[in-house]
Amino acid sequence: MKKIVVTVKLYGQKKTKIIKLTQGTKIADMLKQLNYNPDVVAVRCNKKIVPEEERLANGDIIEIIPIVTGG
Amino acid sequence: MLKCTFCGRKAVYNRRYAGTLLCDRCLTKSVERRFWRAVAEHKLIAPNEKIAVAVSGGKDSVVGLHLVSNYCKNKNCEVAAITIDEGIKGYRDHSLPVAKKNAEELGVEHLIVSFKNAYGVTLDEIVKLAKKKKSRQHPCTYCGVMRRSLLNKAARELGADKLATAHNLDDEAQAIMLNYVRGDFSRLHRLGSIYSPREGFVPRIKPMREIPEKEIALYALLKNIDVHLAVCPYTGGIHTEIRDFLNDFEVKHPNTKFMIVRMFDRMKPHLTGAMPEFEMRRCNFCGEPTSTSVCKACELLVQLGLKQ
Repeated sequence: MKKIVVTVKLYGQKKTKIIKLTQGTKIADMLKQLNYNPDVVAVRCNKKIVPEEERLANGDIIEIIPIVTGG
Repeated sequence: MLKCTFCGRKAVYNRRYAGTLLCDRCLTKSVERRFWRAVAEHKLIAPNEKIAVAVSGGKDSVVGLHLVSNYCKNKNCEVAAITIDEGIKGYRDHSLPVAKKNAEELGVEHLIVSFKNAYGVTLDEIVKLAKKKKSRQHPCTYCGVMRRSLLNKAARELGADKLATAHNLDDEAQAIMLNYVRGDFSRLHRLGSIYSPREGFVPRIKPMREIPEKEIALYALLKNIDVHLAVCPYTGGIHTEIRDFLNDFEVKHPNTKFMIVRMFDRMKPHLTGAMPEFEMRRCNFCGEPTSTSVCKACELLVQLGLKQ
């Protein structure tokens, strides 16, 4: 299976992580791999808000925004 | 590219509990519609009323302020924002300017009330003292009780007819489950879109109670509303466990949160009258309305030795 590389960063943090995924991977699958519940995060792909069912492409830059906040 | 179920534009959100995909426009409109529908259905705001909105600077309360403000513009109502500064270093000091900025942008009167001024201590100091005294209370207990008391007092002083809080669908489902788990019937029966206790209490309304937390966050992001996205350092305890459980359950079984809230709403009319009537009194220490001789906020302060 062909592999793709995406860059992942967490909202408000400068640190990024490069991860290798199988081509055709959905954002939801990536979130699962990274231990994020899709209900508690919003995702920007190349600076645009996207649904988790969107498939990733090579070179995508993903920003994970934790939305469960407060006390 | 995934497309919006309703208009065919680029989708930004998968509303799994409804089986639909929504674009930015359809999602933000839907959030606004749900707010308006809740206000109309439960008669939360009447024309010419003054509505105080509790605003922390977080996404829910800031979006709540925007929605209430827009609604009130159309209904000839007055809006004021109230922010409680509990004194949580590295957290509230970051969200306060956000609350202030939003209130200014919307041209809304903004009142900031601090724990330090009202009680002589910050929440950080209370937590330290409670630890020293080996108190079993979670910081959220002190914060919740004291914040609610100050919000009511501030809303009353502003002459507000209603106090709007930004509780969303997730908050409400969590509160219902928490009170079930604790067997707290008294708190359970107070939940709902509107709570109007007795004299001295400003009726509390929850116009965002049927909007999922994620949709509120997306609304803020899509509308470029400045919000403070951070987790309170004192978050924890059973409340967090229930929140995580419900979020996991929602992923496996979409619509769970709505079902919990709707089922409770169907049961609620049957709970009315099950609680014994109580005599409204004034707190011996602060004079605030209470069902006992000392209000809960003063009781906690007495336990910590901060009031005698």
